[in-house]
Amino acid sequence: MTTVALGPKDFKSELKPIWCPGCGDFGVLQALYRALSGIGRAPHEIAFVSGIGCSSRIPGYTTAYGFNTVHGRALPIAQGIKLARPELLVLVAGGDGDGFSIGGGHVAHAVRRNFDLTYLVMDNQIYGLTKGQLSPTSPHGLETATSPYGSLEDPVNPLAYVLSYGAGFVAQGTPADMPGLAKIVEEAIRYPGFAFVNIQSPCVTYGQEVQQMKVHKATMKTLASVGHDQTDRIAAMRLAQDYGKALYTGVFYRNPEPPPTFEALVRERQTAQGERPAREKILDRYLQRAT
Amino acid sequence: MMTANTSGLDVSALTLRDALDLAVLIEEEARDRYLEFAEQMEMHRTPEAARFFRFMSENEEKHRVELAERREKHFGDAPVNVTRAMLFDVEAPEYDEARAFMTVREALESALRSEEKAASFFASALAGLRDPDVRGLFGELHAEEIEHQRLVRAQLAKAPAEPLVHPSEIADEPHAID
Repeated sequence: MTTVALGPKDFKSELKPIWCPGCGDFGVLQALYRALSGIGRAPHEIAFVSGIGCSSRIPGYTTAYGFNTVHGRALPIAQGIKLARPELLVLVAGGDGDGFSIGGGHVAHAVRRNFDLTYLVMDNQIYGLTKGQLSPTSPHGLETATSPYGSLEDPVNPLAYVLSYGAGFVAQGTPADMPGLAKIVEEAIRYPGFAFVNIQSPCVTYGQEVQQMKVHKATMKTLASVGHDQTDRIAAMRLAQDYGKALYTGVFYRNPEPPPTFEALVRERQTAQGERPAREKILDRYLQRAT
Repeated sequence: MMTANTSGLDVSALTLRDALDLAVLIEEEARDRYLEFAEQMEMHRTPEAARFFRFMSENEEKHRVELAERREKHFGDAPVNVTRAMLFDVEAPEYDEARAFMTVREALESALRSEEKAASFFASALAGLRDPDVRGLFGELHAEEIEHQRLVRAQLAKAPAEPLVHPSEIADEPHAID
C-alpha cells in the first residue's frame, strides 16, 4: 500500500460529466475527490465499481480503476475484487434503484459478509436516467409518468435496511453540505468493514421540489447537533425511522469494535489449512490441463 | 469566528498572510466552479450561457493571479496554512444554480447572486476582524464585490428579455458525448 500526498484534482479524470446541470451528483463527485485526497491512496490502488444509472457513471470521472458493471450487480463484483485483491481500496457506487430494487437482494448479503467495502448510494428517490419513474425510495403518493395516480407503495428505508442487517458503519450526507459529505465519505472509507453512506443527491430534472438542494440546506440537521451517540445502534435505528421525513446528516452508527472482515476470515482459513491463494491454485490446474 | 462557508478556520484571527491565502482560494474555487458550469453548458448545448460562464471563470482567474502576486510580494514562499477544504461556496455559484438551456439572463442572475454572497461573506467577516491589515484587505475585497455586482447589473440591464417560451421547454433531451 502506498500513501501519497495527493490533491483532489489528482483524482479527477479527463472525462466530463454528462449529468444535468444542477444535479446533486456534481457535489458528490467533489466530495469524493476531497475524501480520496484525505485518504492518500494512489489512484491505481483504488477499484471503483458501479451499477447502471446516472450516478453509476461516477467511477469514470475519477482516475481510479473503474468498472461500470451490470444493473444492480456492483456489490457482487466489488466483493469478488476485494476477495481476489484485498490490498486494494474498493469503492462501490450507484443509485437507489440500482441498490435497493434491481440489486436489492445483494445488499443484505454484502452487509452480513462484512467485506471491507465502502458503498455510496446516491439516493434521488427516482429513476432519473430513464426519465422519472418510481424508484424503491420514492415517497408514497408520488405521481410520475408511470404512476399518474400516485405511488401506492411505501418507500424502502435504506438506512434502516442496512442497520437491520448489521452494517458496521452507516451514515447519510447531502451535497448541499459538500465539506460535511467529504468528511463522512472519508470516515466511511477508513472504517475497516462494510460501510454504507446514503447520499441524498437531488435529481434536478425529475426530482421533487422538496428534495432539492435549497430545501436540504434549509432543513438538514447534523446528528451531532441532536446529541446522537454514533456507537448506539438502537438510537441509530430510531433516528433512521425519520428517513423521508427529516434529513439527518452524519454518522448514524459506527461499530466501536469492528469484527473481522470476510476477506480476513478467508485468508485466516487458507493459512490454517495450508492452502495457497485460490488464484494460484486455479492457474496451476489450468496449466496442468494445458500441458 | 466561523462562517457558514468556512470550516476549521477562525476568520477573526486571520493573519494577513492567511487572509491573502484565503482570498486566493476563494477566487480559485469560483474560477473552477464557473469553468465547470461552462463545461456543463457546452455538454448540454447551451452555448451562450457557456460563453458567459467561461468569461466569469477567466475573470476570477485574473483576480486570483493579482492576489497571488500580492501574497508572493509580501510573504514570498512562506507556508500556506489555509486549504480549499476550509471553504465552500464563498464566491463560487452553488451547484444547483446551473440548469440545462439556461438563458444568458439566468446565467447573469446566477453570477449576481454569487457576487452578493461573496460581499456578504466579507461584510460579516469584517465585523469580527481584529488585525487592521486584514480589515484593510477584506474591506478592499468587499468593495470589489460591490463593484462586480454593479457591473453584472449593468449587463443584466442590457441583456435580452426572457423569451415567451423558455428554451428548456422546446429543447431536445441531453445527449452523451463520450
